[in-house]
Amino acid sequence: MEHLISSQDMARFVASGFLRYDHMVPEDLCHACREEMTSFGGYRPVGTPFEETWPKDGALGELFRLPKVAGLIHSLVGPDPLYDHHAAHLVKARTMRGPNTHQDSVIDFRKNYFDIQLSFFPVDTPDEMGGTFIVPGSHFRNVRTGEINAYQHVLGKTWATCPAGTFYVWNTRLWHGARSNHTDQDRYMFKLRLNPTQPQVGHFDMSALDDPEIPRILNTRHGWEGNEMRYELMKRVELWRYVSAQPDYDIGERFMRRREYQPQLADDQRG
Amino acid sequence: MAKVQDILVFFQTAPALDVRPSAWARYEASKGSEVGDLVEEGQPPYRNAMAAMRDGWQVIQMSEFKQRTEAEGYELGAFPYQTVLSRFSEMQPE
Ligand SMILES: [Fe+2]
Repeated sequence: MEHLISSQDMARFVASGFLRYDHMVPEDLCHACREEMTSFGGYRPVGTPFEETWPKDGALGELFRLPKVAGLIHSLVGPDPLYDHHAAHLVKARTMRGPNTHQDSVIDFRKNYFDIQLSFFPVDTPDEMGGTFIVPGSHFRNVRTGEINAYQHVLGKTWATCPAGTFYVWNTRLWHGARSNHTDQDRYMFKLRLNPTQPQVGHFDMSALDDPEIPRILNTRHGWEGNEMRYELMKRVELWRYVSAQPDYDIGERFMRRREYQPQLADDQRG
Repeated sequence: MAKVQDILVFFQTAPALDVRPSAWARYEASKGSEVGDLVEEGQPPYRNAMAAMRDGWQVIQMSEFKQRTEAEGYELGAFPYQTVLSRFSEMQPE
């Protein structure tokens, strides 16, 4: 498989819950997708093989099969993913949005597992057009869908301000929401959610696992972590262990030892 | 014009009144009964609750501590603590 994401990018996805790739899509295909989006139609059957259920003809059929996009999908959910959900988001010109921070779908406790969402921006999306906002690193914090809309502002919140052809890929559990479109132009974004069909281990380019940059990436502070940074870091280390097939991995002060180092227990009691 | 209550909430990772909020929200009834267009704010209006108190805000709720058990002591969810601040302001037309 070509165009796999790097070990460093995978660590970024683990730490921050999203990746952004500019210039993924040629201009003419962006334009064709933008035209097709409004009439693309309803949901496909949830949980069916993506390759079978997703149209092969048309611009959006082509979009998610571009080699770079296919490499990105493979890196995160592996081969043969399932279609889960899609949405053509249209925020009309001069549409205002109040607080709406949320997690998509319903609360999701699955360990060593994540769904991905691909957000494609077919037109230039400047700040005042109100591209989707995200709270980087929030994907380990389980909440019930929209109850977090009381968080009007979060330290480190960021949003999609990007040129046409940009892809965001994000962990479905990332906190996010919509923003006001203050321009005279409609805003378009196309979202697709996929599920893995097998363990999400080692599907990315694993050649740089030993890069000293990786512990620094995993230790990223996004702004809001405060007193809970160490607990965030433990969650990131757990997921990194899993996706990179390094079950004993830890960094810095090795906080995971506070759970795992237990010489007082007999062999059969150790977890 | 009558004065009505404005609320400012600091969502925190520790309950003290001098910690930096992780998130915040304004419920300024003096300005209206909903937030129709959320204007982004990169930083909280005050660096902590005490700075807000020096600007006339009253603390009407400070969080209790949470007891942690082995089962959920490592689990993460909504921010665990919050400070609720109140101030009365002149009512403006909606
Ligand atoms: Fe959403």
